[in-house]
Amino acid sequence: MSKTINKVKNFLSKTGKEVFTNKRAKIWWSVILVLVIVLLAGVVDYPGYYDKGVDWVKAKTGIGLPHAYNIPFKLGLDLQGGTHLVYEADMSAIPNKERGDALEGVRDVIERRINAFGVAEPVVQTTEAGDSQRVIVELAGIKDVTQAIKMIGETPLLEFKEENNDPPRELTAEEQKGMDEYNKKAKQRADEAIKKLKDPNADFGALVKEYSDDTSTKAVGGDLGFISKDGAYSSLWGEAEKIEVGKTSDLLETEGEINILKLSEERETAKEVKANHILICYKGAERCETETSKEDARKKIEELKIKVNKDNFVQLAKENSTEPNAAQSGGDLGWFIKGAMVQAFEEPAFAMKVGEISDIVETQFGFHLIYKADERAVKEYRVARILIDKQIKTEILPKQDAWKYTGLTGKQLKRAQVEFDPNSNAPQVGLEFNDEGKQLFADITTRNVGKQIAIFLDGGSIVDTDGDGIIAPGEVYAPRVQDAIKDGKAIITGSMNINEAKLMVQRLNAGALPVPINLISQETVGASLGSESVTKSLVAGLIGFLAVIVFMILYYRLPGLLASLALIFYATVVLILFKLFHVTLTLAGIAGFVLSVGMAVDANVLIFERMKEELKLGKPVGSSVNEGVKRAWPSIRDGNVTTLISCLILFWFSTSIIKGFALTLSVGIIASMVFALLVTKTFLNLVAPWIKNTWWFGVTGKKN
Amino acid sequence: MINIIGYKKFWLAIAATLVLASIVFVTIWGLKFGIDFTGGSLLELRFTGERPPVSEMASNLASTGIESANIQPVGEDGMILRFKTVDEAKHQEVLKFIKEKFSGLEEQRFESIGPTIGKELRTKAIYSVVIVLITIIVYIAWAFRKVSKPVASWKYGVIAIIALLHDVLIPIGLFAILGKFMGIEINSAFVAAILTILGYSVNDTIVVFDRVRENLIKSGGDYRDFEGIVNKSINETFARSINTTLTTLLALVAVFFWGGETVKYFALALIVGIGLGAYSSIFIASPLLVVFQKLAKR
Repeated sequence: MSKTINKVKNFLSKTGKEVFTNKRAKIWWSVILVLVIVLLAGVVDYPGYYDKGVDWVKAKTGIGLPHAYNIPFKLGLDLQGGTHLVYEADMSAIPNKERGDALEGVRDVIERRINAFGVAEPVVQTTEAGDSQRVIVELAGIKDVTQAIKMIGETPLLEFKEENNDPPRELTAEEQKGMDEYNKKAKQRADEAIKKLKDPNADFGALVKEYSDDTSTKAVGGDLGFISKDGAYSSLWGEAEKIEVGKTSDLLETEGEINILKLSEERETAKEVKANHILICYKGAERCETETSKEDARKKIEELKIKVNKDNFVQLAKENSTEPNAAQSGGDLGWFIKGAMVQAFEEPAFAMKVGEISDIVETQFGFHLIYKADERAVKEYRVARILIDKQIKTEILPKQDAWKYTGLTGKQLKRAQVEFDPNSNAPQVGLEFNDEGKQLFADITTRNVGKQIAIFLDGGSIVDTDGDGIIAPGEVYAPRVQDAIKDGKAIITGSMNINEAKLMVQRLNAGALPVPINLISQETVGASLGSESVTKSLVAGLIGFLAVIVFMILYYRLPGLLASLALIFYATVVLILFKLFHVTLTLAGIAGFVLSVGMAVDANVLIFERMKEELKLGKPVGSSVNEGVKRAWPSIRDGNVTTLISCLILFWFSTSIIKGFALTLSVGIIASMVFALLVTKTFLNLVAPWIKNTWWFGVTGKKN
Repeated sequence: MINIIGYKKFWLAIAATLVLASIVFVTIWGLKFGIDFTGGSLLELRFTGERPPVSEMASNLASTGIESANIQPVGEDGMILRFKTVDEAKHQEVLKFIKEKFSGLEEQRFESIGPTIGKELRTKAIYSVVIVLITIIVYIAWAFRKVSKPVASWKYGVIAIIALLHDVLIPIGLFAILGKFMGIEINSAFVAAILTILGYSVNDTIVVFDRVRENLIKSGGDYRDFEGIVNKSINETFARSINTTLTTLLALVAVFFWGGETVKYFALALIVGIGLGAYSSIFIASPLLVVFQKLAKR
């Protein structure tokens, strides 16, 4: 024991000297470099722990360090749950040379449907195996596989629809009767309520509980809080204005409801102004359509300013103001509050006295003269109400679609293709209908000249109209009909680039020449099985790792310890490689990684065994290290090359799950070679001068 | 020094027996291929309630029109059903039916592979094994191109291949037995394991041969004691062969026991193959080298 301590002392004192020699410094730098790389890799591997550490440091010392760059591991379908589907496209109806495009069309249609499904990072790929054309779909973390399969498998539906201007239908006698009865009952209840309210001892709150249909305010005595003129209850505000504080209203009946109001409080919140104005705009001003120059406009307004007074203001506005409708309105702006008008206009309007006319005011709309007709305080009223609901026609009738079925679908579309405008060379889309479609299209375009025809695929817009990459439910793509088209050949023009035109053609053709697809392979893994597998493989990996480390240390002692250290570094760095290159981790892939851990030690074993041989020959530790590495290298290289060949072929051969195995194993093997050569060697070189007793290297009976 | 070459007949006999037995098993029983090679469906279930007996499940499946399903209980609460290829509609129908019959049942995994895909994978698997074998022969021929005395370089290649065949034939034989008695199937993961064994096991053989080559050069052209040189080489690389294999096996054993059902037999194939790889490099490849040399001398 004391001997060992002496050894330790001995090498501690020695290091001090040796660090500064050239060769030692180089080794030290290598060690530091390795440690830094591993530390960085560790931070990205386990950002959670690092970030917690950073937060702790910040809390304690106030020093803010950046958080780790978080790249998640990419888990395969068997680990996160999901489905892998292979569809075969039936191309028997498609001419040979169009099959490639048709397959792309199928892919695109499937992708659209999946996007509507909201799966993160779906994979939709086309592939050819011999004569068979396929689409591979991978949906990770999907809940309802059955529904997805159902949606993907449906034949695409392409529809041309026209604007729906049909008046809503009348109510049936039965519906009318039902509505009348409902409203009659409502009226009766309202009458009853108002009768009870007439009683001087009546409690409004109790009546609210008994009669009100407004469920959201029933519990608070019907209280709506303060309502303002332009708020949600603006129509009630007008009624509340007529009531005295503390009093209730009569029955206030509209088409859809009956209200009884009680005004409990009122308050003034702001001023509002009523004004008229004369606007003279000029070319270039906002919303201005005249050709008048700014100079002329200024002259004109200056003339008007001289002429105008309180009595002729409205007349002059009617005659001169360039505001649309001024001839009728006389420039009346009605009541407005602060914030409703642009600032340049608002400031004088609120500053003036009632009855005054402003100086010339310039805004982005042109030159104005303002006449302030009135000014008053804006009030808000706190009201409570009893609401009695009535039925109206639109509540009973189903909501009307904006687009109407025309009978024209993909079935009547012969084909679509990208064409170019002969004059501008701009890309456009040409459509050609078959005989039935020709007739239908002629009828549709004849009755819709100047109107729009909307094109839908699977009930959604055929293209993404707002460029956000998503086809939202409300989106519509509807070109306008310029002329009646009798020959069944239409051209869609508009600002589209060649890719957009191609995409639209692809989709039109997918609807025109539907390619039936058959599901020929399905692999579905439930999420619970996936997460169970993750835990299991983590446990297996950890146990395997520890077993290897224990073995190495027991058998090879000091070098074994160093190799274990290198192994930990190795694992850290390989994991970061998986993250950086987005290697998909599957169960087999993790097995491949665990296997690579076992193999990574091989290189070290080869080096150590060679080293031991050199030591046994009585060579000093330092040169044994270098000799061992040098002579072990051909075996390390040869051995790994053959395994890499197998991996390469596996990668070519197999399904995505086995590919993961081949990939992780190859990455592991390559990294292990680099590590054996660089890291283990560096560590051995670092400790070599400190160790005088070869027992540490598993060689007994020889001393240096 | 351990005398391995001295007992070469014994080592070779063991290996030959195992290989022959494997070939016999495969011929008699054949291999049980998984659905990825034959096409078919696999449905894995978990029971949160009580797991019904296999016969009850079988009769229920039969009443939905799924005859001759292969049913296997897995782990504590699981069950794997294998039957012919079905479409999604049939899958849902079957699932709905058995869900009504057995309460507390959960679908864990469903695979349905059409016959075309199965056939393709089968062809690909055969191709890939052949390609790996050829590439390895070429690689060994290249690696030993400079050694010619007293054993011609091509013989190293032939011996390495014999060792490799030993390494993969025995696991295949083992899976024939497992298939016969436990219903364990050969799937694409098994093929991956075989390819990995091919790549990995040849390492050991190459290392031993490397050492033989080195010692032959050191001997300065004196090949009289060829047996002695080979035996010395084995002894020098013995610890290394055992240890590299041992570390790899440690990792794989962990996967076998704790890695879960899906990769269990994948790990088993690798364990057996890689273990045999170490055996073959020490007890087959080197003795054969001596045998070849003796034959050449006659």
